[in-house]
Amino acid sequence: MRRRDFLGGTAAALLGTGVLGSLGACGNSGPGGGEQLQLWALQDAEYQKVIRPAIDAYNSGAEDKIQLTTYVNDAYKQKLQVAMGSPQAPDIFFNWGGGNLAQFVKAGQVVDLTDRTADLSAAFLPSVLSVGQADGRQYALPMNGIQPVILYYHKAVFAAVGLQPPKTYDQLLAVVDALKARGVTPIALPGSQGWTELMYLEYLLDRVGGPDKFAAIAAGGAGAWSDPAVLRAATMCQELAKRGAFGANFASINYDNTGASKLFATGKAAMFLMGSWEYSTQLTNNPAFVKDGKLGWLPFPTVTDGAGDPTAVVGNPSNYYSVSAGSTHADTAVDFLKKTLTSESYLKGLIAAGQVPAVKGVETRLAGTPGADFTTFTYQLVAGASSFTQSWDQALPPSVGSELLTNLQKLFLAQLTPADFVATMGRAR
Amino acid sequence: MRPPPSVRPAPSPTRGTTAPTTTGVRATAPAAPRRARPRRAVNLPAGVGATLWLLVVVLPLYYILVTSLRTPDGYLGDGALALPGTLTLDNYGRVLGSGFARLLLNSAVVTAATIVLVLALALPAAYAIVRGTSRAVRVGFSLFLLGLAIPAQAVVVPIYLIITRLQLYDSLLAVILPTVAFSLPMSVVVLTSTLRDVPDELYEAMTVDGAGPARTFTRLVVPLARPGLVSIGIFSGLGAWNGFLFPLVLTQSPEQRVLPLGLWNFQNQFGTDVPGLMALVVFSALPVLTLYLFGRRHLLGGLTAGFGK
Amino acid sequence: MTTAVPALGRAPADRRRHGRPGALWAVPAGLFFTAFGLAPILVVAYLSLTRWNGLGDPVWTGLDNWRALRDDADLTHGIWTTLLLTALCWLVQTPLALLLGVWAAAPQRNRAVLSAAFFLPLLLSTAAIALAWQSLLDPNFGAAATLGPWLGAPDGNLIGDPDRALYVVALVIAWQFVPFHTLIYQAAVRQIPATLYEAAAIDGADRVRQFRSITLPLLRHTIIASSVLMIVGSLTYFETILLLTGGGPGTETRVLPLHMYIKGFVGFDMGYASTLSVLLVAVGTVLSVLIVRATGYHRMASDREGL
Repeated sequence: MRRRDFLGGTAAALLGTGVLGSLGACGNSGPGGGEQLQLWALQDAEYQKVIRPAIDAYNSGAEDKIQLTTYVNDAYKQKLQVAMGSPQAPDIFFNWGGGNLAQFVKAGQVVDLTDRTADLSAAFLPSVLSVGQADGRQYALPMNGIQPVILYYHKAVFAAVGLQPPKTYDQLLAVVDALKARGVTPIALPGSQGWTELMYLEYLLDRVGGPDKFAAIAAGGAGAWSDPAVLRAATMCQELAKRGAFGANFASINYDNTGASKLFATGKAAMFLMGSWEYSTQLTNNPAFVKDGKLGWLPFPTVTDGAGDPTAVVGNPSNYYSVSAGSTHADTAVDFLKKTLTSESYLKGLIAAGQVPAVKGVETRLAGTPGADFTTFTYQLVAGASSFTQSWDQALPPSVGSELLTNLQKLFLAQLTPADFVATMGRAR
Repeated sequence: MRPPPSVRPAPSPTRGTTAPTTTGVRATAPAAPRRARPRRAVNLPAGVGATLWLLVVVLPLYYILVTSLRTPDGYLGDGALALPGTLTLDNYGRVLGSGFARLLLNSAVVTAATIVLVLALALPAAYAIVRGTSRAVRVGFSLFLLGLAIPAQAVVVPIYLIITRLQLYDSLLAVILPTVAFSLPMSVVVLTSTLRDVPDELYEAMTVDGAGPARTFTRLVVPLARPGLVSIGIFSGLGAWNGFLFPLVLTQSPEQRVLPLGLWNFQNQFGTDVPGLMALVVFSALPVLTLYLFGRRHLLGGLTAGFGK
Repeated sequence: MTTAVPALGRAPADRRRHGRPGALWAVPAGLFFTAFGLAPILVVAYLSLTRWNGLGDPVWTGLDNWRALRDDADLTHGIWTTLLLTALCWLVQTPLALLLGVWAAAPQRNRAVLSAAFFLPLLLSTAAIALAWQSLLDPNFGAAATLGPWLGAPDGNLIGDPDRALYVVALVIAWQFVPFHTLIYQAAVRQIPATLYEAAAIDGADRVRQFRSITLPLLRHTIIASSVLMIVGSLTYFETILLLTGGGPGTETRVLPLHMYIKGFVGFDMGYASTLSVLLVAVGTVLSVLIVRATGYHRMASDREGL
């Protein structure tokens, strides 16, 4: 599950600055012999407005200048992994924490920030901070908003069909059947990308078995995949697809070209399970849909006989910055992070970009900002959550993560039985 | 997809087993395709079949072109194949303003360097293979032959390892080196067969004149190998121009990005901007289109690189 | 055999061996190919015996990766998909390219104009073609919604349907490569002497018979060469598929090279990816031998030098 870029018209204008701006720079600057400190982040028009002023402000008074390079989401993980294995590693790099970070830590490529940023760490929400840790040490600091997965629904469609938004899983199934009968695709699912399907498995396992079930999987415990709760969650996923909850052609729908968002905004689909960033995506691409108050949101439905806590959430706790161990600018890098990440202007910038920063007591700052009803909902959802499970594809090692996304597609297409799915994942390494 | 029925060599309106049917009023002389035939009957079924295939070929091209001229609203509103309500060149302007020049320059550098290196390496090797007497060269040639069909992606992992260890990661040179290496086997083979067509007497005449290998090479081999050089220049140049995998794995920064990667990046970054993407596709085809218009014979010859024989 | 006598009756050249190029001439190309062609093959064989995620140094694990091949259900499926796609591509492209090539070889003016249009796909890069088709096949905004009903997919679900995806991929590949093979056939047909057809026409052979008894037999070598290229090419369709479907839906279009790429550069299991690479190298080598046999490159090499 990824933090999506904010696509759309405004982004096109920024292409110029992003690409042309870096054209003048010398190509071969890395931590080895580069003169500038390299900071890598994702291409995200809204986030640029936050990080660029921060970098400019820091550069104006510093000897070591920072240079920002941004990458598209899909390519970034690969670029980062490949670059970390090469001498051209960035000094500060964006990451998702979890298993992805852990492998860099294991390879001795990340600076231990525990002691150097202890005072800074105290400002963040502990559940979010913990995803940036490995073996009890802090290797990454939250640099973005919290991104729980939320069930969005189309208020106008629900009103027209005379339905109430589902609070329990049984209600969800009833709503699915009713919508299907009316010829509306119940839930938009961009199934050509496996991470969108993963959200269902994550929530269902949490609701059915609680967060410990996935914690066991992430820890690599033998037989963790063959837990009956995992099998049941996988079965529920497949039944949902077989029931027609996602229509017939979900496997050809794409999230990146906002195909699914469009289906949802135009009312061809009535619900959409997606990360909190979907709000901004809709605001950019289908502003009327949001402004007319047709976009509704809910926590994921509860499963009546499930062992999980109904307040638990899944998603991306945040995104993180880490410092390369090989960096010749490590001190500058740490200094920059300390001065920036909890600064007034940085937090304000994040909120203005529609984010909910992962710092304690941010609630008061949200009031009165645009979209406050949504951001406040997001904050309360996370602040009141008994647990915040990180997206599995980020929490697991990349090799298992990619296997998982492939097998999920097969599960949703009914090419794998739930039992085979669980067995196959048990063998993934 | 099956061949358009009328192109199949099935029923044909000619005399023979069946009586002439609908088409040929004068379908007397069977016109099997070939050249310099005095009388030609119109082969209607074949024409219809070819036209059908033409439709298949042209439809996506039409889609690319017409989409690149649509406004964003037009793209979402008009049908995908409908004529656009409003035409705009904005997409082209936007793409030009977004670093197209850099992509073009990088691709040109990679392509030119690949061509030069391939020619410079392959021709002497082919000369040594054809005229040399060394056993080692023959063994080497056999190895080249074995490399003909080894797909580049099979060794992309070790090439990544080698390139990073050579400190070349994220440079155009990182793309050029393996691209050249994978063009070499085919180039050497093609040039070898070109040089074999040169009569031995010509080589001998040079030798009788007292020319050493170096002079024979510049005076005889280079001029006579020209058709082959043009062929493999185009063949390896197109390979470099279109190459996607090596740039994908061996470069990272926008400064080192080549055109095919630029296309992919554009799609990743601006998924919704399909008109812009199609404009970039059109732009990316222009250099080869120019080549096609002005050097069609060479281009097509280079594409088949001697396989048409 | 140090005294490779060139051929009969060429004593002068033999005596003046100094006029011949030494092995040195082939050294630059040889070194280059060794460094970036042969050395990687050795390295990949070594990596296949290690566990490596691209970071740090590879860790020796012996035959673990090779044993893991057995449990890889996607591998079996990938091999099957590769074979199926190769067969499919051959079945679609060969008749089309053959007939179009024969048709385009004729001198009529309208055919020349039409065949100029046939070759247009050759101008686009693989990336451009794959991305253009991807947007063309989008069920919401592309042409798939318009064309889908004609092709038996009323909801425009062409690329996302597990039963259709591979055929759609084969179509896109055909679109890209039929022009190339048409070109090969066209060139070959143009070398058939017209007199053969004239003689046949006098004997009363009709078009079909001429095609069957003159064109086809004389194109035998071209058909072989073109087919070999298609089979070899099936290993390089990988880029098209990566961009078009990413191997999906599920693993329906994940051919063997793509499987290797995903293992190596998405899952970063580069050790296991190297094991798959070794398989690919082996397949590639077999195909190379096939090409050399079929095209007679090797024979040409020995004919004149008396090897």
